[in-house]
Amino acid sequence: MSLFGTNAGFGTGGTSVFGSTTTDTHNPMKDVEVTSPPDDSISCLAFSPPTLPGNFLIGGSWANDVRCWEVQDNGQTVPKAQQMHTGPVLDVCWSDDGSKVFTASCDKTAKMWDLNSNQAMQIAQHDGPIKSIHWIKAPNYSCIMTASWDKTLKFWDTRSPNPMMSLQMPERAYCADVVYPMAVIATAERGLLVYQLENQPSEFRRIDSPLKHQHRCVAIFKDKQNKPTGFALGSIEGRVAIHYINPPNPAKDNFTFKCHRSNGTNTATPQDIYAVNAIAFHPVHGTLATVGSDGRFSFWDKDARTKLKTSEQLDQPITACCFNNNGNICAYSSSYDWSKGHEYYNPQKKNYIFLRNAAEELKPRNKKW
Amino acid sequence: MAEAEAEWELCKENIQPLRGGRAMSALKEALTLQEEGGSAITQRQQAFETELRMYDGDDPLDVWDRYIKWTEQTFPQGGKESHFSVLLESAVKKFTEENKYYNDARYIDLWIKFADHCQEPLDIYRYMQAQGIGLMSSAFYIAWSEEYEKRGNFRNADSTFQEGLNCGAKPQDRLKQFHKALQARVTRQVMSGMGQESGVVDAMEMDMEEPNRKTLVELKALGKEKAVAPISRGSSITTHQPRRLQMKAPMAPLRNSRLMVFDENKKVAEPQDPKLESWMGPPSARAKENEQKPVKWTKAKLPKKTHAGLPVVIPAPAKPTFQPFVEECEQPPAVTPCKINPSMNSVLSARKPHREETPLKRVQDWQAQHQAAGAQAPGADSKPREQSMYCKELLFNGATEFCIEELRAMRYHQKHAQRLVASSSSSNSSPGDESAGASAASESCRAGPSSSGSSH
Repeated sequence: MSLFGTNAGFGTGGTSVFGSTTTDTHNPMKDVEVTSPPDDSISCLAFSPPTLPGNFLIGGSWANDVRCWEVQDNGQTVPKAQQMHTGPVLDVCWSDDGSKVFTASCDKTAKMWDLNSNQAMQIAQHDGPIKSIHWIKAPNYSCIMTASWDKTLKFWDTRSPNPMMSLQMPERAYCADVVYPMAVIATAERGLLVYQLENQPSEFRRIDSPLKHQHRCVAIFKDKQNKPTGFALGSIEGRVAIHYINPPNPAKDNFTFKCHRSNGTNTATPQDIYAVNAIAFHPVHGTLATVGSDGRFSFWDKDARTKLKTSEQLDQPITACCFNNNGNICAYSSSYDWSKGHEYYNPQKKNYIFLRNAAEELKPRNKKW
Repeated sequence: MAEAEAEWELCKENIQPLRGGRAMSALKEALTLQEEGGSAITQRQQAFETELRMYDGDDPLDVWDRYIKWTEQTFPQGGKESHFSVLLESAVKKFTEENKYYNDARYIDLWIKFADHCQEPLDIYRYMQAQGIGLMSSAFYIAWSEEYEKRGNFRNADSTFQEGLNCGAKPQDRLKQFHKALQARVTRQVMSGMGQESGVVDAMEMDMEEPNRKTLVELKALGKEKAVAPISRGSSITTHQPRRLQMKAPMAPLRNSRLMVFDENKKVAEPQDPKLESWMGPPSARAKENEQKPVKWTKAKLPKKTHAGLPVVIPAPAKPTFQPFVEECEQPPAVTPCKINPSMNSVLSARKPHREETPLKRVQDWQAQHQAAGAQAPGADSKPREQSMYCKELLFNGATEFCIEELRAMRYHQKHAQRLVASSSSSNSSPGDESAGASAASESCRAGPSSSGSSH
């Protein structure tokens, strides 16, 4: 039974572990397909926090909708509910208690979706599309942080229509991540801003970009004491930078690595360089996953500085990825990311979300703990 | 109105003059807009950027032309937010392949503006001639000879006009008119020069007789240590004195000249460049102020300190007190020679060698690259080529960059607007709807990702 209206409800089903025929490369890794995927490119994915029993996946898409699935332990996915915006959805996040989902859209608004009542109400307004939304849970306050293409960073108490705070940025926000008490925003023109969130949000530092190309995605990582200590930044030209905020030895501790490129050893043909679309850190192991425009995902160990695994190539770019709260599941979406413009867009092409068992493959090279 | 005029008077020194003059209404509007705050301007800029990337028609130059003209009028003081030089350079570079624009008045106008922005406009004009841009346009020859005239090189100014006439540049009357004006100016100068006692003698000698300090020349070294001002501005200014009669010896190398004035009459064997044009390597177009290599200031030395238990190595500074001017061919660059302990400071890492970049050089390189790519030259590059698998041109087409999602959002808005128009025109069928609808669609598509309602 499909709750999602027009889509083919029964579809390819979450139980098709045996997957597709050999000629079809839409799922070469034979991962679990989520039922009733969105009708257009998936822009963001988020799993529920540990406070909620079970696993619920939220996905926002360019079809203006946000969908919620329950992921059961046997791998089956059950579509649960859906909400709409009046423009493409660019980012989603959960509240810390798992009762609300926040969605940010090109229609310049952000909404709070109460899952229990299945009601959504607008909680934020910008002058431009909101590219990123995060929930901040501080000891003395809780709020929503929205970063937009209108060059502002705003903080919202969901009960009030006016922002608690509005900070001006030098350029449009392209991606952001929050792990209390640190927030990182990567902007246009290779800008990099770090904010500290204790007491109230304030700008902490502006960092010279370790990358030479446009910033595309960012993810904060934590140290062994579970405190945020740095971030991974991905660019539009196949490179990720690992950057620590206060390293003992910056020249040695910070580094960049190439990824999502083709023809690695073959120097006769030019190397194709693809955009890094998303980065996610494993909540337990601290290793990271990157997904790219080339239709592959890769797992990396940043401490051992090695690659753990690279997938087979999917027939479409991979646009988003995320881990569930205990790190057993990695979800990634396969859809056109617009990296080559509108000419390569095929509205008929199906979009997919895959679930993969991430417990084993992301174990770090040398177990330190 | 009187107050608006007074306002203009108050800040007129900040307003950069334009070749064609400024429209008073546009100027007033620009000044009031700037007072109110930048958001209307930013919105308009966004609208232009969107249009640049969404344009599908035959005449892309039109968008660039309008954008640049609007920028010129709206930012009377120039400045970084206008991205004016970036825009100019991009526009000029973008169409170097399009032969159809080579004699388009708008394109030539862009080149002339570009030349005005560079340190050495003469090089730009020569490049244009070598490429065949503007050869049929009198505006080109007029601007070129104006440059010669500014430097006092009346003979070349005159011959430029001759060339224009020979090539049959249009409109011919304008060319002849300016030519006559030049000749009139020259004769007037000669006449006034004859009238004076010192005649056509080198005017520098005149100054020598006076006991006062010479104006605009090199400063003498002061003090025991012979401290010299790091940048010698004296020489470059004296070489550019206008109205200085050089008809007698136009080819003589100028005294104290740090610039090598290119002389086309000398048969100089061009050392480099097996590529397209017959010459290359103009001096830097943008003023690079501190070109001198770092030198010892005093004889005092810092005592060796230890930092975090590690010894600090302070290297000996460079020896010569001045650097003789070397023309920048394939000069190996300034790699910082310091051996600073990397654990202390990651900022000062050795810089990778890079070529001195000038706008003209960038244009030439870009063109060379494109031609090489077109000719499919195998093994032309020594390093393995990389190919970016995303639509670079679309993202970086204008003055500012866009990200992929912004591009997609623009397209979404345009489609959305079209859908609205389609649904509204299907519901009511008045003939005036088409134009109203089209303008509404373009308005909302121009609104782009950032503004909710553009004001224009």
